[in-house]
Amino acid sequence: MKDLTATIKENKLIAENIYELTLTLPQKLEVKGGQFVNISTGDSSQLLRRPFGVMKAEGNDITLCYQVKGAGTQNLAGMKAGQTLEILLPLGNGFDLSGFKKVAVLGGGVGIFPLIATIRANPAIDFYTYAGFRNSAAVCLLDELKKSKRLTVTTDDGSYGCKGNAVQAYLADAAELNADCIIACGPPVMLKILKQRLEECGNKIPCFVSLEERMGCGIGACLVCVCKTTEGGNARVCKDGPVFDINKVEL
Amino acid sequence: MADLSVEICGVRLKNPVIAASGTFGFGREYNEIYDISKIGGVSTKGMTLLPREGNPVPRIAEGRSVILNAVGLQNPGVEHFIKYDLGFLKSKGVAVIANVAGKTLDEYGEICAKLNGLVDMVELNISCPNVKAGGMAFGIKPESIKEVTRVSKSGLTKTPLIVKLSPNVESIPVNAQAAQSGGADCISLINTLTGMAIDIEKRRPIIANNTGGVSGAGIKPMALRMVYEAAHSVDIPVIGMGGIISGIDALEFMMAGACAVQVGTANFTDANALPRIIDEMNVWLDRHGISSVNEIVNTLKLNN
Repeated sequence: MKDLTATIKENKLIAENIYELTLTLPQKLEVKGGQFVNISTGDSSQLLRRPFGVMKAEGNDITLCYQVKGAGTQNLAGMKAGQTLEILLPLGNGFDLSGFKKVAVLGGGVGIFPLIATIRANPAIDFYTYAGFRNSAAVCLLDELKKSKRLTVTTDDGSYGCKGNAVQAYLADAAELNADCIIACGPPVMLKILKQRLEECGNKIPCFVSLEERMGCGIGACLVCVCKTTEGGNARVCKDGPVFDINKVEL
Repeated sequence: MADLSVEICGVRLKNPVIAASGTFGFGREYNEIYDISKIGGVSTKGMTLLPREGNPVPRIAEGRSVILNAVGLQNPGVEHFIKYDLGFLKSKGVAVIANVAGKTLDEYGEICAKLNGLVDMVELNISCPNVKAGGMAFGIKPESIKEVTRVSKSGLTKTPLIVKLSPNVESIPVNAQAAQSGGADCISLINTLTGMAIDIEKRRPIIANNTGGVSGAGIKPMALRMVYEAAHSVDIPVIGMGGIISGIDALEFMMAGACAVQVGTANFTDANALPRIIDEMNVWLDRHGISSVNEIVNTLKLNN
């Protein structure tokens, strides 16, 4: 885990309100799929770093994608190549897919980005990816998603790919697909429905989800970003997660 | 290199920069980023007699130059700390300040008695704005500040007691004097100011607890004023905090009368904030030909 000053290589709009930010680090760091970074916004009046899942790590470059949602991401969107940002990384546990051969990937909206890093990091695994977007304007990174063995794209309004969402599309295929693991990342409501549906259909295979929460330190010290565990008590999303066994957290 | 060491209530700190409670856990996480033996001390996450799960999420929000938090004293309980975390902190050679809170007067007494002689100092949290029972209930009125200090101190025969004051009060001097007359060995301030942040689209507060404690660079002017007031109304030492992000900020608090400082929110903006602040203090002192940081304490001259 390092706190570094990174130089922006590229910061470009790739879909409606979605930016792809590539930063050059002063050194190469190993980043696992599902791990995240805590990054300054470029505005010193914004005291909190912003946590974003890593989408790609190549050499000294690291790429992440973000949706412009509030003042912090608005500021980030205005940052230009050559400017610098402070970045703490790599953070969190990431997806550990050792032993799995055929993995179903369920991504919703900005949740697809850390999943792409996971697909890239595990070339020996066959990924069957279900990427759900709001509409055709939000669809992005198809080249990356196509690194999967099979890609199914859904949109809520049917304006691109199949009408519906990633959970529905996966469940329709689940029996025929016969994957040995599921990984998922997306909005809280998507993961909640996924958990319910898997319980209803008596799912037997492991399912790992990457959670999102408002964070403080990003390293497990401040106890701001907790989730409830099914055993009782809290887990820290930033340090114990963000990836959890779906059966071990309340969603 | 100036001498940065300070002594508070007989406890020697290698420098006056202490990690503030609630931002630094029990030191293990930041020790993965830098060797925390570089810093003067650690005020632990606020602890209670029994474990607490804290508030629902979201627990944090941001304003301009400030943040708001309402963690609600999530902690593993004091016994867990003694068994699993105290040894680690001691091994790092930092002053170990156990920050504690209780629901009742008896709980304050009991938790202090458990820590007596085990830690370097105990810091009484009587000003947590984020829990309904306890915390703040004791920290507003001078009478209850004096009483909770007296009960806590009765369990601490071997360990100095710091009372951490709330800024959400009528009079800092009156409350500082109440702590002193209750037997406090030291005062620290300020805890967070109570505030609110709103999600305009949802028409709801961002934090699940509705209100949260405001901290960060934006609160420094209020904190400096209150530290000055406290230091000039009691004879016991004062530890200053509130919005410190640089060595200059830390030295300003010491000029206002603090003999040491705590730094909290700056850790979130810059994970290396504490060692950087220590270095920056050194640079300023060297540039001004000052050989010991103690020479700065309480040197502020008011305008006529």
